Amino acid sequence: MVARENGQLYTIEGISAGMIMLFTAYLVLSATSVYTPGDTHISDMQLEQIGTDALRMMNTPVNGSAESVLKESVEHYDTTGPAEFKRTFLNYVNNRTGSTPDNLHYTAMITYRNTTDNSAMSSSLASNANLTGGEHPVRVTEWVIADKQFPGSVNHPRAVLVEVLLWRD
Amino acid sequence: MAGLNDDAQWIVLMGFVVSFSFFFLAMVLNQSTVVGQTTAEAVIEFPKNDIRDVRNVIIQSASVTDPIVVHDDIIGIALSRKNAVVSYTVTSPTVSDPRTHIEIHYNNGVTAYNESWTSS
Repeated sequence: MVARENGQLYTIEGISAGMIMLFTAYLVLSATSVYTPGDTHISDMQLEQIGTDALRMMNTPVNGSAESVLKESVEHYDTTGPAEFKRTFLNYVNNRTGSTPDNLHYTAMITYRNTTDNSAMSSSLASNANLTGGEHPVRVTEWVIADKQFPGSVNHPRAVLVEVLLWRD
Repeated sequence: MAGLNDDAQWIVLMGFVVSFSFFFLAMVLNQSTVVGQTTAEAVIEFPKNDIRDVRNVIIQSASVTDPIVVHDDIIGIALSRKNAVVSYTVTSPTVSDPRTHIEIHYNNGVTAYNESWTSS
């Protein structure tokens, strides 16, 4: 045993310290979460909730014999419906406490079933801005049973889906 | 042990203990950054509004004049626009049972929801 056995504790200390530093560096690096575009749906939750609530409110009639605003808009989607939808929906989503309204925009569509070939057809309902591709909209939907004869069908009432793309500028 | 100072080994040992405890604290902190994200994702994954909505329209559809067309509308549009398989059967009131019964099945590939609804 010519090898010197001095300073064993210091050796152990050095190795431990090195491991701790390495592991700490690993922890710090792995704790960093990169916020990719795919993760932004987390902040979209709020927008989705606002849109869903607005549509739900619009789909609720004021009393048992009245028609809801949303149902009326769908039934008159080719005449007075878009204006009515636009007025009510923007009022619901953009109102907030204080004097400045929120800046939400939307594009609304109606999807109905074509009875001849069972395909889903969409028809524009209303919009207050055009989607240019740079926005990041969320989609909210609401089912409506509307007393309306849609193209390609002879029966009514029909169940249609109101789809709204909603985004904030 | 020539020349090497062996004093204060307890202090060195305590130093180890303290560093390891920091270590585990760091691991806990490390977990906490991910927890918020996974929770939010789990909440988003669950189609709460879709289920409520389709349930509402199905219950409404039990009282329309032409339920067969509405039935096909709901199933067809749910599949093509909401990526959900919806199936339901309505049992109309009879003399012996004056209530409407609806069996609702919803499945969007992640979440399945089944309900037996009975009118009051």
